[in-house]
Amino acid sequence: MSGARIAAIMGKDLREFTRNRFFVFITLLVLVAYVAIFWFLPNSVDETIRIGVSNTVLNTDVGGLTESGTAGLVFVHYSTDDELKAAVEEGDQDIVAGISLPPSFLDDLATGTSPTVRLYVPAGLPAQTRLLLEGFVDEIGFAITGNPPPVNPTTQAVVLGTDRAGAQVSMQQQMRPLLLILVLMVEVLALSSLVAIEVQERTAVAVLATPVQIVDFLAAKGIFGIVLAFVEAALLGILIGAFAVNAPAVIVVLLLGALIVTGFAMISGSYGKDFMGTLMVSMLFMIPLMIPAFAALFPGSTPGWVKVIPTYGLVDAMIRITVDGAGWGDIAPALLMLTAWGLAAFAVGAMVLRRRVATL
Amino acid sequence: MIADNYRVTTPSNPAGIPAIDVDDIRFSYGDTLAVEDVSFTVAPGEILGFLGPNGAGKSTTIKMLTGQLSPEAGKISILGMDMPGQREKIQGRLGVCFEEKNLYLSMTGSENLKFFAKLFGVNEFAPEPLMERVGLSTRLDDRVSEYSKGMRQRLMLARSLVNTPDVLLLDEPTAALDPVSAIGVRDIIREEAARGAAVLLTTHDMHEADDLSDHVAFINQGKILTIDTPENLKLKHGTRSVRIRSRHGDDIDEQVIPLDDEGAEDRIRDAVSTEGLMTIHTEEATLEDIFVEYAGRGLT
Repeated sequence: MSGARIAAIMGKDLREFTRNRFFVFITLLVLVAYVAIFWFLPNSVDETIRIGVSNTVLNTDVGGLTESGTAGLVFVHYSTDDELKAAVEEGDQDIVAGISLPPSFLDDLATGTSPTVRLYVPAGLPAQTRLLLEGFVDEIGFAITGNPPPVNPTTQAVVLGTDRAGAQVSMQQQMRPLLLILVLMVEVLALSSLVAIEVQERTAVAVLATPVQIVDFLAAKGIFGIVLAFVEAALLGILIGAFAVNAPAVIVVLLLGALIVTGFAMISGSYGKDFMGTLMVSMLFMIPLMIPAFAALFPGSTPGWVKVIPTYGLVDAMIRITVDGAGWGDIAPALLMLTAWGLAAFAVGAMVLRRRVATL
Repeated sequence: MIADNYRVTTPSNPAGIPAIDVDDIRFSYGDTLAVEDVSFTVAPGEILGFLGPNGAGKSTTIKMLTGQLSPEAGKISILGMDMPGQREKIQGRLGVCFEEKNLYLSMTGSENLKFFAKLFGVNEFAPEPLMERVGLSTRLDDRVSEYSKGMRQRLMLARSLVNTPDVLLLDEPTAALDPVSAIGVRDIIREEAARGAAVLLTTHDMHEADDLSDHVAFINQGKILTIDTPENLKLKHGTRSVRIRSRHGDDIDEQVIPLDDEGAEDRIRDAVSTEGLMTIHTEEATLEDIFVEYAGRGLT
């Protein structure tokens, strides 16, 4: 293996990359766009539930309910029923539902007549939440009349995993690993296109007719791919504050992620016939590889099969580091899995490219 | 063995070790036999024309010479070293001009040459003289994507010379060239041979092969049919005769005079001195005719 020849091929690849306006444009665009998206996302979570009410009955804080805003429940008052409906439809002041109490509400309760309360909910409100709100209306009645339910069960909340009550993960934090993975994926396309050009134009044949050995060629492609993907991800990471906690661990995770995507890029580059072909083959890999990042947006909903996707370890480790401030010991299993997948993907990618070049 | 018949000794190579020595090589793609029992040698400073139709086994042979493919049987020795055993050392002294224009299109002509010079470990490489030699000195800093087909072909030849190779493998080096450029390329090939490089030249152009080659090898269906000098082949297979045409009034008279006949010289002298002489042609066979005789088919 010759370092000088590997460096020469990498230099050539870098020149080709920077000469390709599309690659440069996409690379810069991705950086700028992702950074902008990240900083536009809310960096805190509002845990209060806002409910609209259209009757003045509750203005007088019947039973102390309207003060429950301190416990995360806030009532927003509207003077008419129509205003309430419009507010629910438009999501005014982030209210999740509207309760319209009839004018005779208090009298009905006092006389033991069952009043009809209208509950306005937006079309997309989950059925469970609607049931919860219906129960809440009952609670108002109990609070006003002073008639408690016959049996009052004791509820003991047990939080499995990290209790994030009052300290929810913001959208920004959730999106951080997703953006880092997306940027790595973009480099899959760039590297696989470079490999595809080398294969389709048969320039690899010319290179291998010189003292360059196939090992040099594969090493050059591999190192260039890893460096390209890592630098882009690291740049983005710096701009979105991914290195604020345990920076060495983040660097290792990104390097291993770059190793994985380089392996897949070598495979897709070997089989792409042209740019569109390369894009299609790349998409075959990119979409499944992005699934763990999307799954991270919905904690607790990750099915078991997602955990065997090569990039799961990358997402898992990134979330643990950047959100939970995890140390090396905490992310060791994820790193181990990531390393295994990285080596496997790179080995398969190198083997596929080697076979492809040999048949040119 | 055919190879031994063409061993050439030179002052720098007194033992006459061939620059290329191919001995009974064979290669097949799956069940299809591409090359079988192919043997030839090329001495330093010699040009061997490798002639055959498409699919004859020329490219497969060249791939084995460059180390891209390994022969299933037989032996290849280049500059006294075993291929593929000492591939890296051999490749450092090889220059290859491929039939396909496998250049880096987004790079300039100069950058292409510099890149390959680096791969060959050539220090202090200056592309200008080579670009000048192939007539591209004014396009040094233009991207190859802006080159015409002919310019790319000339750059391919320049690229094959960046390491001042001892062995040159040229696959259709004048394809896509205009006649003037083709003459320039042929001159370069002659200069390289004169410098001492062994040249293996594959071409469809029989006139080019005839013009350039010290020896020609006919290859068809993976086998070498014959190897000889163009002159010998033409002597063996051609007719030693002269065809003379002359005009007498409105009539055109044509006579063929066999050179080996008694009184042939007198007949030629008479014919030439006759008024109305139009043309005189020798009747030697062309390489194409001889190839057809050997292969039972043409080159295309």
